[in-house]
Amino acid sequence: MFRRVPPLKRINKASSNISTLGSSIVNVINHSKSTTPLLSNYYSTIAANENNSSTLPVKSTDILIVGGGPAGLTLAAAIKLSPNLKHFKTTLVDAGNLSENLPKFHNLSSSAYMTNRVVSITPQNMDFLTGDLNLPLQFNRIQPFDGIYVSDGLNDTSRMTMDRESMGNMVELLNIQSSAYMKLLELNANNNTNPIEIADNCKVVDIVKPSTTNATANGVENTNPWPYVKLDNGETYKTRLLIGCDGFQSPVRKYAGIETRGWFYNEWGVVATMKLEYPPFNHIRGWQRFLPTGPIAHLPLPGDWATLVWSTTPELSKLLVSLPSNVFSKLVNAAFILEDGDMQYYYRKLSDAAVDKRIFDEIIEDIDYRIEVKSQQLINKNNSDMYYVDENYPPPIKDTLEKSRARFPMKMFHADTYVAPRVCLVGDAAHATHPLAGQGLNMGLGDSKSLVSVLEKASSRGLDIGSVDLCLNDYWKDRYGTNMMLLGVVDKLHKLYGTRNEVVVGLRQWGLNVVNNLGDVKEFMMNVVSGRK
Amino acid sequence: MFKRSFSLTRIQHIKRLQSSSSSVPKYSTSFLNSNVSKTTARRSTSFLNGHPAAIDTSNKVNPDEKSHFETLAPTWWDSKGSQRILHLMNLARMDFINEILRNYKVQLNANNSNGSKNDIDTDLYIPRFTTSVFPTEIKKNIENELNAAIYKELQKSELTVLDVGCGGGLLCESLARLPFIKKIDGIDMTPAVINIAKQHQSLDPVLAEKLTYAVRSIDEQKGQYDIVTMFEMLEHVDDPKEILISGWEHVKSNGGILFLSTINRDLISWFTTIFMGEYVLKVVPLGTHHLSKYINSREIIAWFKEMYPLSHEVLQVKGTMYIPGKGWVNHDCSNVGNYLMAIQKK
Repeated sequence: MFRRVPPLKRINKASSNISTLGSSIVNVINHSKSTTPLLSNYYSTIAANENNSSTLPVKSTDILIVGGGPAGLTLAAAIKLSPNLKHFKTTLVDAGNLSENLPKFHNLSSSAYMTNRVVSITPQNMDFLTGDLNLPLQFNRIQPFDGIYVSDGLNDTSRMTMDRESMGNMVELLNIQSSAYMKLLELNANNNTNPIEIADNCKVVDIVKPSTTNATANGVENTNPWPYVKLDNGETYKTRLLIGCDGFQSPVRKYAGIETRGWFYNEWGVVATMKLEYPPFNHIRGWQRFLPTGPIAHLPLPGDWATLVWSTTPELSKLLVSLPSNVFSKLVNAAFILEDGDMQYYYRKLSDAAVDKRIFDEIIEDIDYRIEVKSQQLINKNNSDMYYVDENYPPPIKDTLEKSRARFPMKMFHADTYVAPRVCLVGDAAHATHPLAGQGLNMGLGDSKSLVSVLEKASSRGLDIGSVDLCLNDYWKDRYGTNMMLLGVVDKLHKLYGTRNEVVVGLRQWGLNVVNNLGDVKEFMMNVVSGRK
Repeated sequence: MFKRSFSLTRIQHIKRLQSSSSSVPKYSTSFLNSNVSKTTARRSTSFLNGHPAAIDTSNKVNPDEKSHFETLAPTWWDSKGSQRILHLMNLARMDFINEILRNYKVQLNANNSNGSKNDIDTDLYIPRFTTSVFPTEIKKNIENELNAAIYKELQKSELTVLDVGCGGGLLCESLARLPFIKKIDGIDMTPAVINIAKQHQSLDPVLAEKLTYAVRSIDEQKGQYDIVTMFEMLEHVDDPKEILISGWEHVKSNGGILFLSTINRDLISWFTTIFMGEYVLKVVPLGTHHLSKYINSREIIAWFKEMYPLSHEVLQVKGTMYIPGKGWVNHDCSNVGNYLMAIQKK
C-alpha cells in the first residue's frame, strides 16, 4: 500500500523547510522558488568542508535541537521547564533570524495584520501550551472556533455540521514560535548557570558519526558515539542526544538513515489571509468544502480576519497565486457556493486570459451575479429567509492581504521509526499530512509532550538519554500508532473526496448525511479532530 | 539456630546482642519450615549461618561466584544481551530509590532544619491529598511546583553513595547521572567486572568526576555515606550477615539510608528466578542463583530488630516482579520472590 518516496529528487523544490519560518513575517513563503538551504547545503558543503575543516574547538552539549520551528521551540521550552531535564545543557540551532524576528513579532502592539501560516490547535494541545508550558501567547491573535461545517462540492444537500464548543483554536505559527522563544529568554534570565543556547542564523552543514576508533577512550569500543554536528559558522557540536525538529527535509533523519514512506498528492495548497466583509455574527466556525480539485477551507481568525487553505491542482495553484487579489477574493467566495461547472468555467477563462486585464472585471461581475442567483435559489428551495446563506455558507471575503498568498505541495509521509542511537525525530521531520483535518502541528506537539515525559522518566532513572533501547524507544512506541491512525484517516478522507466517480460521489453524499445523523459516529470524529480521547 | 549464628560473629556485636533481647524472631523459622523443601533447608539453614566451610575470611566472596561473574563481564553492558533482565531491574531499583529519596530525604532535611535554618527551605509543603480531584491545569501546576521544589531540596543535599557489589556499574552510572548525587564509590571483588565498569564509565564525560570504582572488600572501604546500596548482592556472598554489619557501619547516622535487595527463600523464588529464569526462559545466565543463599525479607527485618533495635527504621519493603514484555514491576507483597528494602539509620 505504501510506496517509498524516491529519495530527494521529487521532493527538492517542494520543501516546506521549517528553518525558513522564522525569517518571514509577512512575506510570501514562495516554495517554488525556495532554495531549501538545509538540504542543498547538506550535500554541497560536505566536500568543501573537508578542505576547510574548522579550527574551532568542538563544543559539547547534552541535547541539540535542530530547527526552531513551533515544534523545536516548544520542545526546548518544555525541556527547560522540566525539573528533571533542566540540568541538561541544551542547544537549539536554526537557520532563520530568530533573535530578531520573534521578539519583534511578540511585541506587535495590534493585530493590524495576520500572518499566513496559521494552524488549528486542539484544546488538548492548547492546555499543553498554556498550562504545562505557560507560554506567553498573544491571545488577541488567537481565534477559538466552535465547529466545522463540512460540505460536498458536487452536491449542495449533503453536509455535516460538527458543532462543539471550543473545538479548536486558530493560531499563527509565529505566535507559538515567538511565545516559546520569549519563554526561553525568561527561563534563561532566571537560570544563569545553565541557560539554553540558541544558535540562530546558522545552518547545519553536516552531521557525522565519529568512527568508533576515534571516539573511544582507553581503546574501549564505543557502540553509541556522540554525533558531531557542523554548522556553517564554523562551529561543531557534539551531542548526547540529537533531536530533529527540522521538517520534511530533515538532515537529522538523513544522518540517522531513517527511511520514510509516503507520497505527494498531485495537489498544491494555496494559503492566504483574508479580510471579511463583516465579522461572523453567528457561530464562529470553520468551513470546509470538498471540491473535485481538492478541499478548500475557510477558517476564522480574530475580528474580521480569516485564513484560507485551498488545495487544488498544481496548475490552478499557480494561477490562483498569480491572480489580482480582488479576483482571487471573488473566486474564493464562488468556490464555497457555486457549482463545479461554474468553477471550471472560471478556471478556464482565467487561465486563457492571463494577459487581458479587461476580462477580470467581467469575471468579477459574473461571479457576483451568479452568487446572487444561487443564493436566491437556495433560499427558495429551502423555504427559508435571507439568513439562510449566512447560516450555511462562510462569511464573504472582501479582500486578501497583500503578499499573503503562497502555495506549497501536499504530501503525506511517515518515517519508519522516530528514533535511532542518539537521535530522535519530532513533528514534520517524522510525518506530514494533508492539512484537511488540521492535524499537522497537533501531531508535532503530541510528539514533544511524549518525548519530554519519556526523557523525564529516563533522566530520573539515571539512564543515558541517548540510548534507544531503554529510553527513546518508548517515545516511538507511544507516538507511532497514534500518528499512523491520524495519517491514515486523513489520507482515506482525501481519497474519498478526490474522485468524480458517480458511484463514489453518490455513496459519500449518502454517507455524509448518515454520519451527520449518527450522533455517536459524529462524536467520535469530532473527538479525533479536536484531540480528545 | 539463631544463637549459634550470633556466636560466630565478631566480639563487639556479641556484646550488643547480649544487651538486647535474644528472643527468636517470630516469622523466620516457621516461614522457613513451611516453604522450603527439606533438602534446601538442610543445606542452607538460614542466611545467618552462612556456609562455614566456604568462608574465606580475607574476602567474603566465594571463588565460584567470582569466576561466574568474570565470564559475564564482557556482555555486561549489552542491554539486549545476557544481562538484559538486570538492565530492566535497574529501572525498578532506580524507581524505588527515587521514591524513597523523594519521600524521606526531603522530610529529613526539613526535620534537621532547626539546626541550620538558612540553607533549607522549611516552607516546602507536600500535600497529603490526591491531586487528581483538581482540573488538569491546576493539577499540573501543583505537580510541577512540587517536583521542582523536591528537586531543589534534593540538589542541596549533595548525597554521597557507596555501591557494594557494583558489578559492571549499572546502578553506579545511573546514580551518578542524577544531579543531586555528589559522589559515588562502586566496589566489587571481581576485577574483571570492575574493569568493564571503568571502561564503560570512560564513554560518558558526565561520569568522570563523580564516580570511582575499586576492587575492594567492604571492610577495606573507608568513610561513611548518605546512601549505601547492596542490590542483588547478598545472595551471592557466603556470609551476608558480615556484609550487612560492615555495610551498616558505612551508613551515616541521623538519616543515612541502606538500600538492599535480594530474593526470598521460597518455592516461588526458586520457580521464577532459577527454574523459569535460568532453565526455561533463559533470561538469567545459568548458575547465577543458588536457592540456599536467598534470604527472606522477614529475616532481615528481624535481624535488624535484634542487632540495632534503637538505631534503625525500616522505611519501606517492596516486592518486585518480572513481567515479560513489561519489565520489573514493584508491588507490595514483599514476602514473595525478589524484594527491595530501604533502612534508615537514626
